[in-house]
Amino acid sequence: MAKVEIKVNGVRHARNVEDRTLLANFLREELGLTGTHVGCDTSQCGCCTVHVNGRAVKSCSMLAIQANGAEVLTIEGLAKNGKLHPVQRAFSECHGLQCGFCTPGMIMATVGLLKDQPNPTEEEIIHGLEGNLCRCTGYINIVKAVKRSAKLLRGGKR
Amino acid sequence: MFHCVRGSNSNTRTFPDTAIVEPHASHHSNRVEDFRLITGTGKYAADWNLPGQLYAWFVRSDRAHAEIVSLKVERALKHLGVKRVFTGEDAVRAGYTKFFVIVNYPGRGGQPIKKPARPSLAAGRVRHVGDAVAMVIADSAAAAQDAAELVEVEYRDLPAVVSVEEALAPGAPQLHDDVPGNLPFDYESGNEEAVKAAFQNAAHVTKLRLEVSRVAPSPLELRACMVQYEPKDESYHVYVCIQGINMMRKQLSFATDVPEDKLVIHAQDVGGSFGQRSAAYPEYCMLMLASKELGKPVKWVSTRSEGFMSDTHGRANTIQGELALDRDGKFLGLRLDWIADMGGYLSATGSASHTRNPSACMTGVYRIPALYGRFRLAFTNTVPVAAYRGAGRPDIAYVIERLVSQAAAELKMDAAELRRRNFIPREAFPYKTPTGSTYENADLRGVLEKALKVADWKGFAKRRAQSQKKGKLRGIGISTVIENTGAGLFPKDQITLECSADGTVTAYTVAQSSGQGHETTFAMVVADTLGLPLERVRLRESVQSKGLIGNHTGGSRSLVGAGSVCKLAAQKLIDQGRSLAAQELQVEPSQVEYAHGAFQARGSKKKIGLAELAKKQPLSVMAEATVGSTFPNGCHVAEVEIEPETGTTRVVSYNAVDDAGNVVNHAVVEGQVHGAVTQGAGQIFCEKVVYDRDTGQLLTGSFMDYCMPRAGLLRAINVEDHPLPSANNALGAKGVGESGCTASLAALANAVVDALRPLGAQHLDMPLTPAKLWHAIQSAKKGKN
Repeated sequence: MAKVEIKVNGVRHARNVEDRTLLANFLREELGLTGTHVGCDTSQCGCCTVHVNGRAVKSCSMLAIQANGAEVLTIEGLAKNGKLHPVQRAFSECHGLQCGFCTPGMIMATVGLLKDQPNPTEEEIIHGLEGNLCRCTGYINIVKAVKRSAKLLRGGKR
Repeated sequence: MFHCVRGSNSNTRTFPDTAIVEPHASHHSNRVEDFRLITGTGKYAADWNLPGQLYAWFVRSDRAHAEIVSLKVERALKHLGVKRVFTGEDAVRAGYTKFFVIVNYPGRGGQPIKKPARPSLAAGRVRHVGDAVAMVIADSAAAAQDAAELVEVEYRDLPAVVSVEEALAPGAPQLHDDVPGNLPFDYESGNEEAVKAAFQNAAHVTKLRLEVSRVAPSPLELRACMVQYEPKDESYHVYVCIQGINMMRKQLSFATDVPEDKLVIHAQDVGGSFGQRSAAYPEYCMLMLASKELGKPVKWVSTRSEGFMSDTHGRANTIQGELALDRDGKFLGLRLDWIADMGGYLSATGSASHTRNPSACMTGVYRIPALYGRFRLAFTNTVPVAAYRGAGRPDIAYVIERLVSQAAAELKMDAAELRRRNFIPREAFPYKTPTGSTYENADLRGVLEKALKVADWKGFAKRRAQSQKKGKLRGIGISTVIENTGAGLFPKDQITLECSADGTVTAYTVAQSSGQGHETTFAMVVADTLGLPLERVRLRESVQSKGLIGNHTGGSRSLVGAGSVCKLAAQKLIDQGRSLAAQELQVEPSQVEYAHGAFQARGSKKKIGLAELAKKQPLSVMAEATVGSTFPNGCHVAEVEIEPETGTTRVVSYNAVDDAGNVVNHAVVEGQVHGAVTQGAGQIFCEKVVYDRDTGQLLTGSFMDYCMPRAGLLRAINVEDHPLPSANNALGAKGVGESGCTASLAALANAVVDALRPLGAQHLDMPLTPAKLWHAIQSAKKGKN
């Protein structure tokens, strides 16, 4: 067992967990934050993407103890001050989700992607989403949503 | 007639009031269900938890075909936290040996389908890698998983049958003792003699042997289920990913003999289904057994690796197709020899989706006087095969449309012109096909011409020449298709509609969305009929206590079925309100007019609103309809460019013209087409489940090995509606969920073959990977030198 203390969505949580506990399972099972989804066991699907210290990370490929002392942001904490994050808004506006299972990971990956590259080309978006799988939308509207997100984040007209 | 609301304009809504207020809610295509899904507050099967829950882990066979010599659970039982280990003996003792299979119609010579036993845990023999042999229950998922490693299974290997050819060959190892020749069903459709005569008179016969490869449907949500047995009333609460509660209950009841009214199914959000989530899988039955015996809720969440070896696969058909034509290119007859790989056991839907469905639209969009198909199902030591988006319709459309384009190439005819010449003419509808379908209506010519125009079919030669200059191979492919949408397992679809005292109108349905956006589209239908803003209407799915009869979401049927009944229910609610309003307003009901949520006495200012009426007494109606098949149809044109040095294909344009009848929400329809066409593109360019030919080991057991389509596979899809309303339902709608799969397989494959044809290649089987194309290009070049 290991003691971990992780700040998740601004709130500090201390827990004793089995050493092998993945960050994804810690969030889902210890904290009940089920918005972070698990869709595979080989870190391909990206459904579990969260931010650790400001970087997009697949939380299934990281142990909870590796996040000890870190700040984690999950989909539940993305909206701030009663306002949806522009990326959340863009996904809905562009019909960039259907069943919604990959969506939290897609949104968290997009927020990360746009931090690194605020004005990505289509090629850069496609490359940036390589680690996220979606089975419903066919990706076309997701790519649109990322473009729209970039525009919104740059303060462009809606 | 229902007003077609195109996408984003009139009937959109703001997000509901919650802690997060969206101050500038602009209205693009925001769906009602989006808010919870983008904020991580949805609830999928694995998100349910109950106090005191235990966890299950399944021990699965690592052999394709073997006898279980011994199964020792003692060491596992001693592991910390373990409560119980169940084996096949427990399943058999409980009587859990049956498995629901839809088919109940006879095959060739009146022979019924053979449905071998399928215990909820394998007993005595395993028939595919992944066949579950034991279930460990512990107080944590980790303990159950650890203990599963301690279950000792001794197997005696049997020879594995991996391909259908092997399975049907004389002397093949037998999977089920009561199914000789590994042939559970031999089905035929059409007229064999008429086809023989047609082929004798043919000027030309085109033949192709086609493989519609085995794919893994792979909804992103992992399969999960939790069962809580309630001793007070002997009921089982089942929290599970489903396509509809009634279908799940019917199947679970069949497998366990627990009466349907003792099965309570719970589901909120479902993370994709595609046919794969319609079945009551054996694991669910074992969880029922465990919860009853242990007196606690028992939860199981699959891993993706388990999913590849236990969630049903799709397609897996091998077809010999022959098309006979006369001198002018008129079709005379079509003959199919169809072998469907069923895997190790019959699934709930696979036997129907691989016989009845392809046979129902075997004539495609063409007038073909003589049709004959023989459909044989074969058992192999692989994962069971079931319906996958389209369920046999993409497969038959692929066969016909590949044959037609191949015939055009052989006759040196334009592929569109050959189609035009053979279309069922508009005046021939309703058209009774030689295999017993009655196509309601279609404007095939109109759909085709529109598609050719948007795809600039005529300008292709010029574009090909330009590609050629750059050293690239360019091809164009077309498919014109029609399909029968699902009639459903239940005789009718019911909707309950209630208006509460606060004026909120709530519709209840048992058609469960798994991404199709029912909460938006169905609510739009109700809001439109009642003349209310969308905010006043909400949809609740899968509320079992309402006792509704109705079908699951599958076979592209939900809008046509439950969705159209939403309109009938709303009309009924107005009628109910009118007679109550008449009393309140003290006039004859015939003197009461309804508009925008209020009743008014004709020629007077006396008025009463729906909400006010509902305050006085509950307003509630139930409406129903029996809705059979609709016949959505369309023409898709794909254009590709292949880099001969690498064999990589780029889809340079994709145009889809679809007649989905009246469209309620264009954004949702377009989304369905995008998703389905991409699944088709995935199957054509990269996806395939691969087994080792000798051992039956699964070689594509994870997303590392199984190539899922990713962003960029298709850059754009131009979706055009060409609505010809259906008289089958109150909306005039036709199903659209699967048409993208049905049309895209052939359109994309035809485009690639067209690109390679100048090199001499005539046929390649999917998936058309860079390696396969590179080899084809290289060997074609060598052949020429």
